[in-house]
Amino acid sequence: MSSPNRYTCEEVFRRLDDYLDRELSDQEIEYLEQHLSVCQVCLREYEFEKSVINTLKSKVNNISAPEDLMTRISARLRNDA
Amino acid sequence: MSAPAEEFESLLEPLLNLVYRVAYNLAGSREEAENLVQEASLRAYKGFHGFTRGTNFKSWFLKIMKNVYWELGRRSQRKPQTCALDDAPDLYLFQKVESHPHLKATQDPAHAVLDRLSSEQVARAIGALPFDYRYVCVLYFLEEKAYAEISELLEVPVGTVRSRLHRGRKLLQKSLWEVAVAEGILEVGAAR
Repeated sequence: MSSPNRYTCEEVFRRLDDYLDRELSDQEIEYLEQHLSVCQVCLREYEFEKSVINTLKSKVNNISAPEDLMTRISARLRNDA
Repeated sequence: MSAPAEEFESLLEPLLNLVYRVAYNLAGSREEAENLVQEASLRAYKGFHGFTRGTNFKSWFLKIMKNVYWELGRRSQRKPQTCALDDAPDLYLFQKVESHPHLKATQDPAHAVLDRLSSEQVARAIGALPFDYRYVCVLYFLEEKAYAEISELLEVPVGTVRSRLHRGRKLLQKSLWEVAVAEGILEVGAAR
């Protein structure tokens, strides 16, 4: 690391996915966030990737089961099982 | 109604929306999702005697549905379109957006692109992923599960979950961009 408490751009890039998934140690998070506080390029990339994940989560959750699906399942359990 | 059926239904019904969302994002269509949920329910009910009461019914059911989905896919000999595994560069969408000035200039470029896609189009993009990547991604996006939870559910090592999720998300970005282009969402000057 170029600084004792902060990662380089390359080190942040390698850890970006794990950071997005909240799978880094507390120290790794601290070093990474120190870098993001001073590097607009990495910050922009992180915010973009974060927005991709959040938007996709919203999209995949925007689906509801048909209202009669449970009724049809119940009928099948009694007819076919 | 027999007691076991009622008990089974009482466990399944609160999860039905989640289960259906998993099925829909795996299968890519409402008809196939309904069929998958019904087949999985039937399989799970038949094996309900093997479920230990008080343990995680959701995980147990999702494991069964994964296996049913795999078998249905093999039985139909239908091979879904898959992205090239060797063509998934890092930050794919970011790089694409950077080359579109009208997208880059928006406050939230990622949202500007992806929000124009319908849930059905997103499901289609997920459905284009290889199976192993698809299920991990679906569980991640729907449940926000940690690697360890997905690992336990899919019965693969945590390292495998991590690599499949990271690569799956890269492939998905490429797939989403291709869907957006094919649907005419990314015409020049069409950004907000």
